[in-house]
Amino acid sequence: MSNKLFDEVTATRRQIFQATATAVGGMSLAIVLPGCTTFRSNEIDESGSWKPNAWLEIQPDNTIVFTLDRVEMGQGIATGLSTLLAEELDVSPSKIEVEFAGANKAYRNPAYGVQVTGGSNSISTSWGPIREAGASVRLMILNAASEVLQVPVNYLSTDDGFIVHQGSNKRLSYGSLAGLASKESVPSKPELKNPDKYKYIGKQNNRIDAQKKSLGEAGFGIDVEIPNMKYAVVARSPIIGGKVGSHNGSAVALLPGVLDVIEISTGISIVADSYWRARKAQSALEVDWVKRSEAPLRSEEISAFYQQEASKEGGSVKRSEGNVKDAFEEAQKTLTVEFDAPFLAHATMEPMNCTASVKNGKADIWTSTQAPDVAQVVVAKVTDVSLSDVTVHNQFIGGGFGRRLNQDFVGEAAEISYKSGKVVKLIWSREEDMMHDSFRPASLHKISAALDDQGMPSGWDHNIIVPKIFDWAVWDVAPALFSWAPKFLYPMLGRVGQLTEGTPITPADTSPYEGADNLPYAIPSIQVTHTKADAGVPIAYWRSVGHSHNAFVVECFIDELAAEAKKDSYLYRRELLSNSPRLLNVLNLAASKGGWGEARSEGVYQGIAVHESFNTYVAEMVELEVHDNDIKILKVTCAVDCGLVINPDVVTMQMESGIIFGITAALYGEITIEDGKIQQDNFDTYPLLRIDQSPEIETIIVESTASPTGVGEPGLPPIAPAIANALFKATGRRFRSLPLKLS
Amino acid sequence: MQIILNGETTQIEVEPDTPLLWVIRDIVGLKGTKFGCGKGLCGACTVHLNGSAIRSCITPISVVDGQSIDTIESLVAQTGELHPLQQNWIKHNVPQCGYCQPGQLMSASALLASNPQPNDIEIDNAMIGNLCRCGTYSRIKMAIKDTAGLLRNESDLAYEIKGASTDNV
Repeated sequence: MSNKLFDEVTATRRQIFQATATAVGGMSLAIVLPGCTTFRSNEIDESGSWKPNAWLEIQPDNTIVFTLDRVEMGQGIATGLSTLLAEELDVSPSKIEVEFAGANKAYRNPAYGVQVTGGSNSISTSWGPIREAGASVRLMILNAASEVLQVPVNYLSTDDGFIVHQGSNKRLSYGSLAGLASKESVPSKPELKNPDKYKYIGKQNNRIDAQKKSLGEAGFGIDVEIPNMKYAVVARSPIIGGKVGSHNGSAVALLPGVLDVIEISTGISIVADSYWRARKAQSALEVDWVKRSEAPLRSEEISAFYQQEASKEGGSVKRSEGNVKDAFEEAQKTLTVEFDAPFLAHATMEPMNCTASVKNGKADIWTSTQAPDVAQVVVAKVTDVSLSDVTVHNQFIGGGFGRRLNQDFVGEAAEISYKSGKVVKLIWSREEDMMHDSFRPASLHKISAALDDQGMPSGWDHNIIVPKIFDWAVWDVAPALFSWAPKFLYPMLGRVGQLTEGTPITPADTSPYEGADNLPYAIPSIQVTHTKADAGVPIAYWRSVGHSHNAFVVECFIDELAAEAKKDSYLYRRELLSNSPRLLNVLNLAASKGGWGEARSEGVYQGIAVHESFNTYVAEMVELEVHDNDIKILKVTCAVDCGLVINPDVVTMQMESGIIFGITAALYGEITIEDGKIQQDNFDTYPLLRIDQSPEIETIIVESTASPTGVGEPGLPPIAPAIANALFKATGRRFRSLPLKLS
Repeated sequence: MQIILNGETTQIEVEPDTPLLWVIRDIVGLKGTKFGCGKGLCGACTVHLNGSAIRSCITPISVVDGQSIDTIESLVAQTGELHPLQQNWIKHNVPQCGYCQPGQLMSASALLASNPQPNDIEIDNAMIGNLCRCGTYSRIKMAIKDTAGLLRNESDLAYEIKGASTDNV
């Protein structure tokens, strides 16, 4: 994701905590927002907890409940953030119970100013504050114990949730002291552990959610069950932008089990007493969809439109160094090529779904979302409920990858509940999930290099033709940011956000050119340009966002230049990475551990790529075989530098995950449009990699004391170019179009 | 109609074309079995019919009338002991988002019940119908092999075994 949306509202993550005693004698720690010194009494519930923004609770029975303010969608953040807390609180991570945060300003992501999990930044933004909070609570409990035992604090130590008096070996649980500890003042600058004392950071390797997920006990959005709940489906226009015309809804309303047939903003909803009956009724629904006035979209026309936009002057220059014009005029040789990448669906395993109860001016939303406060906005938009009266009950997430930053499914469920007066669970079919996704934007790249007499690049000129994701996201995100704004201002907030993007008011949407403008290679003259081309196909953030196509282009093109210079592509990169020691290091590691250039059986080809995204450095080396028109990837060797490592196996898992996700995109991923209609609708037409095609993956993690960075996305960008570069060796042909097709 | 669900005879009053998946999830109320694609393409809905893995999303309830159906909820023994596959799923840190894993475990448990020592190709053939968007395939394979006693040594692994043993989670 791009950086924070609007500068002025972005609070620092230096949170202030306030402690209170709970009614049952425990302790509750809440986040106090800057400028908000007292709590309204109605924010304290019957048990004495500050529920809306509770962050940590220690109960008398020593139950420790941590409210996770980022969402768990597989990336392992429940384990990661619990580990940070556990380390300074001195309690093993397995003893910490995790609850998912509802929507509250206190839980906003400081990098964006809204409560969003994305951009691989949960660890980097929480690293300091969570440890400080854990250390503060531990000190408060120590101070309380000192009072109870009438001994100085330096005679006391902590051990896995207990205070230990060194003289007598007497042990008191944190829980037994929590009520008293809540009256202590919260230390503002607690001393943090020296890394050589870490018990869990860098050592904790299990996942706290592994057992639940291996027993089928993890509760996902789709598993929510509310008394008197009914089931809803929505028929939407198969043509992008189409509207409801005439339909036989009144006849469908008479079918067995059907309770309501309602027109909503996105189509026609059928509410029934069971999901299957709702689906069956939907198959009997006939709608004349009214096409939008413009010509329907087609993939070929979108490509032509991109070419047309590329030929115009006036792209926005994102990086300019040296003199590119002179470099090309003085070059020994120049090379100019084109790359392209398609639209891609997210295809999370859990289809979009949401359960909503909207009544008496209040809304309860049970769903799996990456953006709870944006969910509040979409509910407020379609109901009479105000933002602060929307309660979001977040669940385990059956895959996010950016899809669940969009809240379209939440808005639909809320509108259906509001109009039908019923509690409804809306479930999208796989076909609906794929056809009505918002996609990773398609892109076109025009790229040129000027080469000197040694074949080394003296000039680099990269023009990226792609829409801005922010243009689509801003309409729901801006009102979440300015949550004080009345509803009638929402459209204006979106418009202002869009118009001021890239000014001091609204930071730039870097998604079109991220991973291209920070080209790491030492080239004297560099120009990187973004040319906006928006064809009107809904687009969204998709795992690694702009890096997903820009890394492909940059790393394939540099490989092409190496071949042009008749040099080894690994050594060529090394020569040019003198200014990027961390990238150079992972590149060397992947090449040496992977056995770059070593003898292999006949028909095995190697390719390599290196890329930095989200401040994490990753190199991947691929070995593959080609059989007729099939690409068989045998092995991937991955080296990653993500700074200090919290959980080594979670890092390894995320590299594996990004690589497999990236192989699916590289080999199969393609959404096409014909007559305004998305052509792929299930896993037969939009295949995912299966187990028999899954390569061996070896991950090497760089030991580092640098600040920790994220791992959810950075494993993905280098894999497609590494495969394409190996295919060049196998076939002698360059592959400049995704997905990679041999025929 | 009735099915023997996880060993218990269960009466089902529902239209005969209702897929078994929705009977299990919404009528009986067992939520471990997941909806993924509705076409038998992803395996998230895998359950056992008389011990064999089937896709419950495309199986009308009328087709399994009177027969034995087992879901992910049946894998844990009455004693509370986890199925050896579940223990290895935890040991090898298999799940990420976790949504596909009940289906993966039902396919794997059907495989090992009929073929206790499968080779790589047999594992692929048994598991090929189960998609995982998070890409946990290599760990699924290792967890199956470990359960089958086929991991000669841990250096076979591309990663160290670090997941918790089941007695401390």
